[in-house]
Amino acid sequence: MASAKAYKDAALSKRLADRSYRPALDSDPTFVGDVERISGTTAHLCYQCGTCTGSCPSAPRSSYRIRNFMRRTNLGLKEVSLNDPDLWLCTTCYTCSDRCPRDLIPTDVIMAMRNMAAAQGVLPKNMLGTVNFIYQTGHGVPNSDGNRAARVKLGLEPEPETTSKYPEYLPAIRKILEAYGTKQLADKVLAEGQ
Amino acid sequence: MVYSGKKASESNEAPVEPRIGVFICHCGTNIAGSLDVIAVKEYALTLPHVVVSENYAYMCSTPGQNMIHDAIEKDHLTGIVVAACTPRLHEPTFRTATANGGLNPFRFEMANIRDQGSWVHMHDWDGGTEKAKDAVRIAVAKATMLEDLYPMAVPVEHRAMVIGAGVAGIQTSMDLAKAGIETYLIEKEPTIGGRMSQLDKTFPTLDCSQCILSPKMAEAGRMPGIKLYTLAEVEAVEGYIGAFDVTIRRHARGVLTPDEAAARGIVGGGCTGCGDCSQVCPVVRPNSWEFGMAPRKAIYIQHAQVVPLIYTIDFDACVKCGLCETACGTKKAIDLNMEDELFTIKVGTVILATGYETFPIEEKSEWGYKLYDNVISSLEFERLICASGPTIGHLIRPSDGETPKSVGFVLCAGSRDNTGIGKPYCSRFCCMYSLKHAHQVIEKIPGCRAYIFYMDIRSFGKAYEEFYYRIQEEGAKFIRGRVAQIQELPNKNLLVVAEDTLLGMPVEIEVDLVVLAAAVQPTAETEVVRRLFGVSCSADKWLLEAHPKLDPCGTTTAGVYLAGVCQGPKDIPDTVAQAEGAASAASIPIHSGQVELEPYYAQCVEKLCAGCGMCVGQCPYSALSMIVADDGRTVMTVTAAKCKGCGTCGGFCPGGAIRMQHFTSPQILAQIDAFFLGGEQ
Repeated sequence: MASAKAYKDAALSKRLADRSYRPALDSDPTFVGDVERISGTTAHLCYQCGTCTGSCPSAPRSSYRIRNFMRRTNLGLKEVSLNDPDLWLCTTCYTCSDRCPRDLIPTDVIMAMRNMAAAQGVLPKNMLGTVNFIYQTGHGVPNSDGNRAARVKLGLEPEPETTSKYPEYLPAIRKILEAYGTKQLADKVLAEGQ
Repeated sequence: MVYSGKKASESNEAPVEPRIGVFICHCGTNIAGSLDVIAVKEYALTLPHVVVSENYAYMCSTPGQNMIHDAIEKDHLTGIVVAACTPRLHEPTFRTATANGGLNPFRFEMANIRDQGSWVHMHDWDGGTEKAKDAVRIAVAKATMLEDLYPMAVPVEHRAMVIGAGVAGIQTSMDLAKAGIETYLIEKEPTIGGRMSQLDKTFPTLDCSQCILSPKMAEAGRMPGIKLYTLAEVEAVEGYIGAFDVTIRRHARGVLTPDEAAARGIVGGGCTGCGDCSQVCPVVRPNSWEFGMAPRKAIYIQHAQVVPLIYTIDFDACVKCGLCETACGTKKAIDLNMEDELFTIKVGTVILATGYETFPIEEKSEWGYKLYDNVISSLEFERLICASGPTIGHLIRPSDGETPKSVGFVLCAGSRDNTGIGKPYCSRFCCMYSLKHAHQVIEKIPGCRAYIFYMDIRSFGKAYEEFYYRIQEEGAKFIRGRVAQIQELPNKNLLVVAEDTLLGMPVEIEVDLVVLAAAVQPTAETEVVRRLFGVSCSADKWLLEAHPKLDPCGTTTAGVYLAGVCQGPKDIPDTVAQAEGAASAASIPIHSGQVELEPYYAQCVEKLCAGCGMCVGQCPYSALSMIVADDGRTVMTVTAAKCKGCGTCGGFCPGGAIRMQHFTSPQILAQIDAFFLGGEQ
């Protein structure tokens, strides 16, 4: 967005900042192309009907508006999109993609933006906590005693057919996370106390 | 003129006691759901002269009509009253049923207990019932006094006239001529073609507009069935359906056609369109056809494909130096002393196709049209992007002649505007041509950005939504928000300010050129022509069709039809479709050979007429005149075919000498008495 007016009071400055956008200053003309290349969907054909937001299970419970991200993509508003914490509220259920009348895949637009944000080191802390969980246990949500009891009650083995049962495969998973730099990124960002 | 039958008032038969049949329609629940139809039926039986009273679910159905015709035979009725909807809907139906029963069809009277009864008193059962009883009583009072009337048949001239030679007028004329009707095509400009000939391409097919229109122009110009008068306007209109006498003013062109030259005895003379005259002409004027963006001489043609290819002298600009006469040489086509010519044509039916113009967008000052160099109208854009236009198809910005690298398109520029400055209606084709414009700049100027500022994209026609998709795919940027203002920057670029309502943020976009999709309005001449032919217009000044759904080409004036945008904004496919519809409608009376007129005309009772002549000037239809009667007195007489039965003269005549058939004074007084006296006469 355009530069904020400078008031002595920082909170007032923020509140009175000029919120209009000027494509010449604010938009990145390569953004829509990058998003379309990574997501594999022609985001610029979005006609803003709102079916995606209407279908979204996250939208009624949060400030997440996927239509808004589609709009920002088309306007090249890269900075505001990648820095918006709402970007991480998508559960990737793909309902919007099932229903989009223009046959686009809004979920993949979000995934593309998350990739771009992560590459810039912009990720929410709890997401990085999940990376560490996977590094340690092979699971974003590791098995627990309660879960084990429930599985036994249902006649299942306490541990599922994953790294929970075969911890010998954990080094391979750690290797993958290290090879793509995910673990290092998580450590770095968490160490910065972001 | 054929007049059949005799006047009832002069009948020698002994008067018979009136016997009236009353039929109450339920109209499903439209009437029966809001008032007591049984009570109305029983009430009718108590009225004087009523011998039968019935009710039925749908009187307009075949069983309902049969009830009328059976009752006439069985009960020897002399008058019929149907209490139902409006005469406008079903008077013809019930008249036919009355005639089928053996009565004169004009012995039928309708009581409107639906539109003026149950619908307005939907929640007042008792009040609605009482009002319906009143309406029936009034109708019965009139029905007892109705007399036999006979429609008048008038012959229809086997010729038609089309006013306006845009694509609507051209299509209508060609259809009529192909149907064997001699058609006069009148155009105020020196060439036919209209707005469509100014366009570069047409949506959604991207056909070149002139490429698809010029074959029609050429064909219309040479069809023997079409008599083409360009540079001509309607001066006066007299007459009625079947026999309109239209006076045409043919403006002095200053140039003779080969035929006109031959008529003056100049062998092998007349204009060949060579253009030698224009080359030597020293006077330069802006070419209005190019919106002043190109020059023309005082002797000119508007563009290369004009029909007819005859040069025209602009006598307001011409200095009569005579250089053109010399250049023309032995063809002797130029007559600098030519004067306007007036002549009258008799035609059976008339089609108005007077088209549109863009509204003066400069009146909406926030967009800076005519204030900022680089804000242009959509029609100006058409000329600038057109290969035959002033820049040979190179889009430039007017301030410096540079190629624009970003263009903003402002939709609804004056449309959907209730301020009184713009137009409240949707101009209907701007969305689509603006999409086309965006396509053209993206296609012609590599890297050029197109921003479309819109409120809604109305892409409703066949293959239109697909065209919208295509333009979006090509990369045009759509910003949903009406442009609030445009500011000019020192480098003559424009800052377009709007709200991106989808993002909920204000937006400012700097562009090189702005194109305003201006609202359209009827041409100035439309109002003149409308008054001459007595055609109504709606509140927004477009010509009014007889019925928006069921009679979209007709008007309330018999024998006058509408084609194209003069009736309301429409694109080329809709215009041509309506033109073909109007041609069909206008050819029906002509091919029938005669039309029946309602026998509601005024009659002069000569023995009461004092010959004062004051009524003659009152008549809006010039139907009255003074004659010398057999006894030598001067009296008024009515030309029945011109009379519309409006009653102005009848109400005015101080001596009560004018009798309005079907609305005679005794009949109307009987209705008033019935209302006030409650049936006790």
